[in-house]
Amino acid sequence: MSARAQAVSGPPVTLEIVAAVFHGVAVSDAVAVLVVEQRDGVPRVGWSNEQVATLLGYGPEDLRAVAVEQLLPTLGGGELKLLLRRERTVHMTLPVRCASGALLECVVAAVPVPPPAGRRWTLRVTSTATEAERALRATADAHERRFATLTERSPVPTLLSEQGMRLAHVNDAFCALVGRQAEQLLGTGWLDAVHPDDLETVVEQAITVLEGGDREAQARLVRQDGSERSTVIRFAHVFTPGAGAGFIGTIEDITDRLAFEARLAHQANHDPLTGLPNRTLLSEHVAARFRPGAGGLACIFLDLDNFKVVNDSLGHTVGDALLVEVADRLRATVRPGDLVARFGGDEFVVVCQQVSEDGAVALAERIGEALHRPLTLAGVELHPRASVGVTVQTAEHAAAEELIRDCDIAMYQAKAGGKGRVTVLDAEARAQARDKLRLVADLREAIGRREITLMYQPIFSTADGSAVAVESLARWQHPERGAIPPGTFVPLAEESGLVSALGLLVLDETCRQLAEWDRRLGDRAPQRANVNVSALQLDVNLPGHVRSALQRHGLPARRLSIEITESALMTDPATARAVLLDLRELGVQVSIDDFGTGYSSLAYLRRLPVDCLKVDRSFVAELADGHAEITSAVIALARSLGLSTVAEGVETQEQADELARLGATYLQGFSLAAPLSGADAAAWFAGTRTATPTDTPDLELT
Amino acid sequence: MTPSAAPSLTVAPVFDLERVLGSIDSMAAQRPVAAQVVAEANSDRASAKELSRLLGADVALAGRVMKLANSAFYGMRGRVTSLQFAVTVVGFGTVRTMATVALTDLDDESLLPEDFWEVCTTLALAASTLAPRFAERPQDALCLGLLAQMGVALLHHNDPAGYAELWSTHRSAVARRTAEVQRYGISALRLTSVALEQWGFPAGMLVPLTQVDDDASFSGALLRSAFEVTGRLTDGDHAETAIERVSCGQLRERDVAPVLAQVRTDAEELRAALLG
Repeated sequence: MSARAQAVSGPPVTLEIVAAVFHGVAVSDAVAVLVVEQRDGVPRVGWSNEQVATLLGYGPEDLRAVAVEQLLPTLGGGELKLLLRRERTVHMTLPVRCASGALLECVVAAVPVPPPAGRRWTLRVTSTATEAERALRATADAHERRFATLTERSPVPTLLSEQGMRLAHVNDAFCALVGRQAEQLLGTGWLDAVHPDDLETVVEQAITVLEGGDREAQARLVRQDGSERSTVIRFAHVFTPGAGAGFIGTIEDITDRLAFEARLAHQANHDPLTGLPNRTLLSEHVAARFRPGAGGLACIFLDLDNFKVVNDSLGHTVGDALLVEVADRLRATVRPGDLVARFGGDEFVVVCQQVSEDGAVALAERIGEALHRPLTLAGVELHPRASVGVTVQTAEHAAAEELIRDCDIAMYQAKAGGKGRVTVLDAEARAQARDKLRLVADLREAIGRREITLMYQPIFSTADGSAVAVESLARWQHPERGAIPPGTFVPLAEESGLVSALGLLVLDETCRQLAEWDRRLGDRAPQRANVNVSALQLDVNLPGHVRSALQRHGLPARRLSIEITESALMTDPATARAVLLDLRELGVQVSIDDFGTGYSSLAYLRRLPVDCLKVDRSFVAELADGHAEITSAVIALARSLGLSTVAEGVETQEQADELARLGATYLQGFSLAAPLSGADAAAWFAGTRTATPTDTPDLELT
Repeated sequence: MTPSAAPSLTVAPVFDLERVLGSIDSMAAQRPVAAQVVAEANSDRASAKELSRLLGADVALAGRVMKLANSAFYGMRGRVTSLQFAVTVVGFGTVRTMATVALTDLDDESLLPEDFWEVCTTLALAASTLAPRFAERPQDALCLGLLAQMGVALLHHNDPAGYAELWSTHRSAVARRTAEVQRYGISALRLTSVALEQWGFPAGMLVPLTQVDDDASFSGALLRSAFEVTGRLTDGDHAETAIERVSCGQLRERDVAPVLAQVRTDAEELRAALLG
């Protein structure tokens, strides 16, 4: 081929320039160039540059007159027309046959060289990929395969989004989780496996992730068989250059974990015996429905009458069976939506919404009737009864717990009224109960601040009229209500769990006072102090508390006498005996208070380790009426058992004389000496320890 | 190419191929925005931001992309409110495909053979659904399937009456391709690959188009299998070919049944989403 300036359209170009360009192309090491011409209707190679030899292995002479169809085997059958166009340049990617016969993937650009059109073209041939690019592609492919394998074998259910919500891939673990085939899940099919109620959340989170970032959604997946699995789906954004955004979703099946947590929550909030909600859930239930100022919320509190009798006589297994039966009957009797809870022991609470007081009472009565139906347990026919307290929310109820507390109070009123009753808490009763609650709070505070003070009433010996001991008597001066009698606040302390703290206070203060008297009075100080102990304090801890108090104040045990009522001893005689033995072991004296007012077994009395009987003031009072029988008998009994006696409530000289005559060991009474404060008692003992009575030489009435 | 599977080229074409090829050049000039989108989407530096900016200049095309992104096909349930997010959701390849559809007037059904889009969407969905079995990306396969028949449109534009007759006379893909070569000197599939190559589509996308008739070629197996599935779904007289053979052993007949059901369900939806 010859280079001619005329062959190039446009402004004239000198032959030198054409030669220079032609030479440049000929020796170019960048692009392989061939010139193709139509000869005899067949496109053939007319010329090629040096780079063709480098790229394809042909020398310049090898290709001369070779048909282009041979070089480009995929363009056979007339398809060369697609490349060798008359009017335009065409780029094609296609295999080119090398001198070795191998095919090399190349980009071929065919540029028509006019005129005339359709006769001559230059072909620029470049390999599609360098070695480095091929290596990179192979590495990328290997990464892709490794990732695919990892995902496929992973036990973690995994989704790979294609575009939008469309899945390109799901692994076996996900297919197994939802019990469906991959084909059913690809595209948007997986959305069918999401529970309809959770679909919105899932789609929302996935869409957010498509825009970038990570998200997670808790969702139920519906298996092919209709069963459900609870899952957490964690979405992560992925971006493919040139393609767009997608996501990878990994799924954690939390069904078992949720079930376990639900079981734990159920156990924490339900009574294992009856399966009923417990007190915790009851409180939450009422609190969730309580709206201050609203009405219609009612609580019915039930306490089985004589349940202890069943437990004691037929055993705890039968007692439990009775509770289960009661729970079943309650469940069957209440309205749909009402809550039945086991409050504790044999106590149950029913919570009703949107009910009037009449409605609540009617329900309570229905419950009472249902419970009273006979049942046979351990061969014994039982007719259970319950004392039922009813409270309907009023404007006065400020908090949910007040509602439960009020129905508890109502139940106690029902029980006090004779068992098997239904009682509605009225305004007066509620006011009383609240007043009592306030008093309990005040008492707790008074004990904490040691505002409970002690008075000490001297006890005299009938032998010489000397004051040999004192009895500690607790006093409470309420800052607003004035003096609260022990008959009020001691039972209150017992009911509200404060008696132990109160008892410890009295014990400690008495010991402290004794020690102080010792320091101030020396041998004129009272030799012994009697401290009253409640039945509720009579447990194995008592001897330890006593020992501690004595040690704390450096006193010998003989300086203390513990007074316990006869009824307290008889509540649990075995425990009482063990505790008394410990106290005696310690060296502390023990007296039975109010002797003769209870129902002591005399045989048991003989076995109890006591030192003294206190003759109750009611028997002493009878002396004035000429009835000395009981007092005389008690004193005689004590003497025969080797015990001393203290006669309480001595009011007159005649009583004192008579008691001395009957053989009482000690006397105590308002007329002999009134209770004194610690300081007054110190003065009293420092001055007058004995007196000269008229008939009884050792005693003086004041 | 396997000679036995190749169309017969012994008969001289009765149509001027240069005219058909020339129309490929003129189309880009008529829809410059679509052409720009095609060019930009083919770039390695393509970004959703830039593509959406370009798309914004062609309201009709942008509207279609938004509609497609919000369609049930992508599961987005009308939540795609920005064009940029729409581009992200449907993917760059699909945007490029839609722009190409606009470029070639494929969105005007009146200029196309009857049931053209039914075949197109069925072919696209079949390719997309089967893609994972051939280690291909479904979204790429969807685009390939949608565009594979573009050559049909080009031939039809240049020879409406002649091609319509050919289309209705030759129902099977292989027979149709043979007839196309006889009449035009080139098959519609080959023409598609020429046009796509001219518009800068990646070479990897063109290989299946050129190798679909070579039963031994794995590169052509996915498209070949998709054509077989399409034939079974759209042509009542379709003579089935064993799927094992056309898929180079990648598929068994039992794999095809669920694909048929899924493709049948989605094809109409995709057509509605694409064409509005």
